[in-house]
Formats: sequence, C-alpha cells, structure tokens
Amino acid sequence: MEKRPVRFSLKSLESAGLSARDLEIIVGGIEIPEVWEPLGPTPMPKIFMLRSWDFKLLNRYKPFYMPFCDQCCLCTYGKCDLTRGKRGSCGIDMPTQQGRIVVLACAIGTSTHTSHARHMLDRLIEKFGADTPINLGSDINVEMPNTRLVVGIKPKTLGDLSHVLSYVEEQIVQTISTTHTGQEASSLDYESKALHLGMLDHVAMEVADIAQIVAFNFPKGDPNTPLSEIGMGLIDVIKPMILLIGHNVSEGVEIIDYMRRNNLGKPGEILEVAGLCCTAHDITRYESSAKIIGPISHQIRFIRSGAADTLIIDEQCITNLSLIEAQKVKTPFIAVSDKAAYGLPDVSEWPVEKIVSSLTVGGLSGVFLPDLEKAAAVSVLTALQTAPLRQKFKVIPDIKELSTIASKCTHCGRCRRNCPIDLPVDDAVYSLRLGDSSKLAMLHDLCLGCGRCEWECPNHTPVLSLMMKAAEAKIKTEKYKIRVGRGPILDTEIREVGSPIVLGEIPGVVAFVGCANYPEGGLEVALMAREFARRRYIVTTSGCSAMSIAMYRNEEGLTPYEEFSGVFEAGGLVNVGSCVANAHISGAAIKIANIFARRPLRGNYEEIADYVLNRVGAVGVAWGAYSQKAASIATGFNRLGVPVILGPQGLKYRRMYLGRFEDKESFTVYDAKTGRRVWIGPAPEHLIISVENRKEAMVMIAKLCLRPNDTTRGRMIKLTHYIDLYKKIYGKLPEDIHLLVRSEADIPITFKDEVLSYLEKVGWKPWELPSIDPYYSENVFKKYYRGG
Amino acid sequence: MAVTPWQLGNIFGPRVAIQVKGDAAGRMIKAAKHPLLISGGNALKEMVGDKPYIEFIVELLKARSMPFIATGATYKDFVDRGLNPIKIMNAVEVVDRLRDSEWSIDGKDPHDLVVFAGLSYQYLSQLLSCIKHFATHLKTICLDRYYHPNADLSFPNLTEEQWIENLKLLLDNVKSR
Repeated sequence: MEKRPVRFSLKSLESAGLSARDLEIIVGGIEIPEVWEPLGPTPMPKIFMLRSWDFKLLNRYKPFYMPFCDQCCLCTYGKCDLTRGKRGSCGIDMPTQQGRIVVLACAIGTSTHTSHARHMLDRLIEKFGADTPINLGSDINVEMPNTRLVVGIKPKTLGDLSHVLSYVEEQIVQTISTTHTGQEASSLDYESKALHLGMLDHVAMEVADIAQIVAFNFPKGDPNTPLSEIGMGLIDVIKPMILLIGHNVSEGVEIIDYMRRNNLGKPGEILEVAGLCCTAHDITRYESSAKIIGPISHQIRFIRSGAADTLIIDEQCITNLSLIEAQKVKTPFIAVSDKAAYGLPDVSEWPVEKIVSSLTVGGLSGVFLPDLEKAAAVSVLTALQTAPLRQKFKVIPDIKELSTIASKCTHCGRCRRNCPIDLPVDDAVYSLRLGDSSKLAMLHDLCLGCGRCEWECPNHTPVLSLMMKAAEAKIKTEKYKIRVGRGPILDTEIREVGSPIVLGEIPGVVAFVGCANYPEGGLEVALMAREFARRRYIVTTSGCSAMSIAMYRNEEGLTPYEEFSGVFEAGGLVNVGSCVANAHISGAAIKIANIFARRPLRGNYEEIADYVLNRVGAVGVAWGAYSQKAASIATGFNRLGVPVILGPQGLKYRRMYLGRFEDKESFTVYDAKTGRRVWIGPAPEHLIISVENRKEAMVMIAKLCLRPNDTTRGRMIKLTHYIDLYKKIYGKLPEDIHLLVRSEADIPITFKDEVLSYLEKVGWKPWELPSIDPYYSENVFKKYYRGG
Repeated sequence: MAVTPWQLGNIFGPRVAIQVKGDAAGRMIKAAKHPLLISGGNALKEMVGDKPYIEFIVELLKARSMPFIATGATYKDFVDRGLNPIKIMNAVEVVDRLRDSEWSIDGKDPHDLVVFAGLSYQYLSQLLSCIKHFATHLKTICLDRYYHPNADLSFPNLTEEQWIENLKLLLDNVKSR
C-alpha cells in the first residue's frame, strides 16, 4: 500500500443545491494498492530512518573539516570565536558548526532543484494536464529509479510527481530546521542530515528532468542524439539574437514555440536563440538548432560582446551582474523567474506591444515578466525590433584602445589578489602597456569570468573586456560540437553493461559533472574525459562539464562527442543533459542493482546503496564544483555509495569524507558466502576528496573505481589502469598495491614481475578469501546470508 | 600595520599567523625535533629568480634532513633531483592523519613542525585551517611568497626579490652551525 493522490472525474453532477459539469476532484494521500514490488523498509524516509546507514558510511569515511571561517555569525550572540576547541554562546563547537554549514549548503542546493522541479511541474500540469503519462519508450521500464527507491512509488503521470515533490519539500523543511541555533549538537548527525538532503536532491532532479522530458518530448535516452553547436565563435553576429541564461528551460521552449507558430523558422534562420549554462543544454534537447555559448564562466564576457538583442534570465547559476552588464550594452533584459526578479517592474498585466515598446524605445532597460507565454512573444519581438536600433552595441574596446586603457595600470597586483584562482591578471594587464596582448589572451581560457578583478582595481580597469579583445581571434574560432543531452540510460544498455561493471571487467563509470570553477581551465576536463573514454571506461557527463568536454579537438580535428559514441558502453561518452539530468547518472547505478542484480528498489535504500558501494565501480568528478547545488549533488552520490573527486577549489566546501587504509576494521565487510567478516582493502578508499591537480585526479579516478566485488579478471583490468597511470605520473609502482592485490591472479600480466617482486619485498601474502559476496550493512547481509 | 592575506577576501581570525623573516624561519626549522615538509605541485611552476621553486626546496632538504612528501604529482621531479620523498600521498590525506597527535609519516616520533611549500594558495589555506583548529599540537610554517593567516608562522606578502632574499636567509640559518 502507498499514498498517492486519487482523481475523481464526473461528467455532470446534479443535486438540490449543486449543479456541475466536467467536475474533477483530486484527493491527496489516499492509500491505494501497488503490487509492482514488495515495499522495502524505508519508503519516504524521514531524517533519522537511514541514520544507521549514514553512520556506517561515516565510520569508514570520517568527516574531515577545514573551516572556511573561524567564527559563527548566525545569531545575535555572535560573532562567536570557535577557534581551536572553543565553543560558541549556544555551545556549538567547530566540527558541529562545520557539519551545520554543510547541511545549510546541501539544503540550499536541494531546495534550488526542488523549487525548480516544482515550478516546472506545476506549469506542465497546468499546460498538459496531470494525466500526462510518464512514458519513456519501450527501452525504459524503470522510469524513475531514484523515485522508486526513495519514495517507493512507481509514478505513472505528471500528477504523481507532485506527490513525490511534496515529500521532498516536507523533508527539506524538517532538515533545515535542525540548523537553528542550539539544536543539533553532533557533527555526525549533521552529516547524516546532509546525506539525507543529498539523497532528496537526486529525487527532485529526477522529477524536474523526467517532467520536462515527457512534456516537451526531449530525447528519452536516445544514445544517438544530434550534435548541436557550442562556442562563443559560432553566433552569427548579424542576425538578431535572444540569449537565455539559467537553468529552467520553460521560457526557452515557449520562445521556440512562438517562433514556430509565427513562421520565424528554426533558430539561426531569422534570429538566433542561444543559451548559457544549463538552460542552453535543455533548449537544444527541445530544438537542436539552438546554440550553446558555453558554461557559466562565459556569462559576463558574452553579454559584453553585445551579440544578444534580448537577454532572458531565469534562475540558479546566473550572475547578479547580468542586468548591469545588459544595461551597458543596451540589451533589453527580461527576468522570468520570481526567484530572480532583480527589483524590476512586474509587467505581467501589460499588453505585449506596450512591453516591447518600453524595452525598445521607451527607455525601460528591463522587466520582470513571469508570464512565460507573454515573455516569449516579448523576447522575440523585442529582439527583432531592437537589433537594428542597437546594432550589436558592445563594450569591448577597439584594439587601439587597449594600451591606452592599460596605461593606468600601476601593477599593484590587487586584481590578482582578488582572483579566485590567483591568475596573473596584473602581469597580463601591465603587459598591455607595452602592446603585448598575448598574456591577456591566454587568460581567456582560464578565467572564471566572475569579474572580481574589476571590482578590486583602483582604476576600474575593465579587465574582462580587455581580455575579450585580446582573445578576439581565438574566440572567433571557438566552434565545437556537443551531443545533445540524452536523458536517462536505457534499461537495455544496463542489461548489456551491468555484468561487466559489477564484475569489474568494464573498469569503471566516471561521471564528469558540475560547474566551471576550474583551477586551470575547462581543457583539463576534456583531457580527463578523453583519457578515460580511450581506456574504455564508461564516461558520463552533464552541465558545465559536458560543455567544457566539447571544447577540445583531437589530432584529427574531432571533438570528444564526435570521437566517442553516445552509448552507455565501454568507451562511450554520454552527455545526459543539464544539472537536473545528474539524476540519470545516480539512476544508472541504481538500475544496475535493480535490472542486472534484480534487487528490489521500492523503499529499499540501504540495500541498494550497499550494493552500489560494494559492486558498482562508479566515481564522480566535479572538477570545477562551486555551487551549493554541486555540494548537494555530490553528497547524494555519497549516500548512494558513489565516491566523488573534487578539484582543488572543492576544499572550500569545508568537508571531505576520508577513509584511512590503515584502519582495517573500517574496511571490513560481511561475506555472504562464508558468513565471515572480511577485510577488503581500501576499496574504495575515500567517499569525497579534493585533489591538488589533474595528475593526482587521474590516478585517484582509477583507484576509486575499485570495489570488493571485483572478480580476479575485473580487479586485474582495474589495476592495469591504476598501475599504468600511477607509473606514468609517479614513475613507480603504487605504494598501496599490496593492499589491493588479493591473489596473484589479480596482478596485471603487463606488470606481473614487477608487482610480484614488490609484493615479496613488503611481505604480501595471498588473501584467504579473495572472492567474496560483500555487504557493508549487517541488515542487508542477514537478508542474503543463507549459511549457518 | 596588519598584514592582509594574499587573497584579499580570505580574511581569517581571530587567530592569525605571525609574520616571520627568513632567519627566524630557518632557525625554527633547524630547531624542530621532527619536522615534516609537504611540497606541492606549484613547486614546479613558481620561480625563485631563474630557478623553479623546487630547486630551493631540494637545497633546504639537503641542508636539513627531514621526512618530506611530494604532493601534486611531483614525486618524480624530486627523484630526478636525487631525493626520495618518503611517501606518495595527496596533501589532504596527509593532513587528515596529522590531526592525530601520535602520528608521523615515518612511524617515528610525532611531528612538531610541518613546513609547507609550493601548494596553491587556496588549497593550502584550507589545509592550514584544518591544522589550526584540529591539530593544535602542531606548529605550521609556510615558505611561499604570500601571507597565510591560517599558518602559525608565515612570510608576509613579498616581492619576488624580497622572497629570494628571505629564502636565502632561511637557508643560511638552517646551514649555520
């Protein structure tokens, strides 16, 4: 039995005091039978229901805190100094405060996706009806694995998803309330709450993406989605252009529909429709001739280029500066989300003509217009009418002006000191004084585009504008191909790869996800993705990382999406789509447990997470993670048993989950073959860790794909890659190889003599039980252990 | 005048590093009972005059024998220069263990001083924060060009010339009898 809304429809109702036609009554929370799977122990878990699983994880992967601030400033007792063991007025200590901040970050991230999902869903129900079926085609039966697993229902319609979101929303409120002053007093309990939020986040993301897939008819797991265009250099700067920035594609869809209805052709014919950040991914899922400019880091620079004749801002990864920047280049600005209204006048009640007139010739630089159909008409008409007036007005200086502007530079270095990644902006700008623009041009690929350098400069030097000009020739060549986000992984693909993944014969599934806060540019993500695809790992990607991967060409001039297939297979490169499509990556891990191993999903979280941790060699890489959303996504992967590697900027999330290989007890599991407790070696060693640079990341990726369930052949394949990468980077055998080789059969043939010699030196002995049926959870072990 | 951190917005407090010059830093390293040096990936990128920073670190290690770890995948670069880092570990993994007052990288006496050189600024800043709060048995010193408030001892923000001068002073003091 489960709770789901029930809908009554009556054609006509006549009674003494009431007369009604086409009456529809929806009652929420009625108990209705579902027989698709037996109900597991934790449907719709509350905060504490998976606490024991969290504490198991946190016993092996202990929180490691690096405070970003020494004080707590959240109540009027404060500021409280929590340095070196001191407690605050409420009694909180530093580890607990860090756990609390992590919960807040995850709550922000999860709320953001949930709010996105709610906005999307309510609108789609209004537009298409609550009965709109969730049908992903004949190759996908497990349509929403996160939802089945956590909530315990098999949603059939958009209306069912509303119920799912209600559960998530309620849990967010419950969880965030624990961060009030003086409540939770344990860092571990805070971490359990963060893990809870992370899990909820994947449910919310799944709702958001499945809702838009079924309502907008996005690709439903098609591995061969079309190649779309990406890059700052591909925009036809003659045509009028609408630029969309943000994460909620609803407005972009309305614009495409408006263009279709009004015979304005496809994007690129009469006017360009382009996007930045995840809205861009999703608009190409609706209409592949729309274009992607690039990740979040390109926002300010592209606005300044003046190419956009109308700028639409929706929500999430947008810069607060977008209105100010749009005003500089006379680009009309339309805010469509009530989450980012920018203080602009609400013109919802105005007629379209009046709004367009106000934005084009009436002196109004921006409006708040949450009526999306009206906003679509306004956007298109405004772009068409503004284009001849503003003539692509830009604030990028002429080449001759560069040295004049830079001549004020005193080389004080404050720009560099305010750069999040310490780029040598000062040297680059100062070099312009001598006419050398090459240093600034080189920074274009590395720059995060935040503009902090400009705010710090005593002379208000427009560094980003100078950079755009200096890199102009290169920017014009920035034209790449990206495979349109395909959405979920097919059940049929899972059947093909489930066994080789679980046995270790496909060495791992590597997910490059997250934002563009890269330490040394997006190229590094492309290089890593390509390396692991070539090694025949399954590479998946989403969001800004998926865009950065596209911006690379191999020796033959092919982008990675042209070089590798889009199939979820060894050597495939799978772009699932925008941030919310990350749920399909966690969903794939869940599906492996369900479809390949036939583990029941319904309300059965601990068992599935235990399965993934022990058997599915998947690892996430959030190389440029910056947002609270990325924090909650990563934490959700962690609760499911998927390790995550962060780039160096990721240390600012303040918390890692680290294992210690020497803590043998924590790396002990139950073996369902023998009933014994068995040491498994550090596999996987950490649950979330930040590494210093790409080389460290490459080795860590290969290492964190190891699982105790690997067969000897699987372990040999995984160790081949680990040892090969390690030797290339460090010039020697891994120092922990004796902790990972269980029997001689595990040793890669290529390195056999070398490894054996090392093992002999360190006194290695073959493990008594190299092949086990591993369970970390005692509860799950008891379910599957059939021995005495 | 108070020293600002190199990253202007990265304000810490109330406890911040004491500024030192090269001579005091050298004496401190020399006097430590069981110091550990952690060298990062920037040791190859940062230049000290016309030489990469790693050359200075190598010279320091030759003058003051102590266990050291080459993070950021720089192991080979030290081996090529005739020195063997004691282990290959990620800096986060090392700092994790440094929280234990009995732990040392070589299994000998616990460390009393950790010397950092050549890690990127923000990365090191966070690692130092962890030690400051949760490894209070340790002293930390940073030899990079930029002021690190989360260390116990740090150079102030220096010009390249000042940095070279201070590193030289440091070496002189380490080598002195």
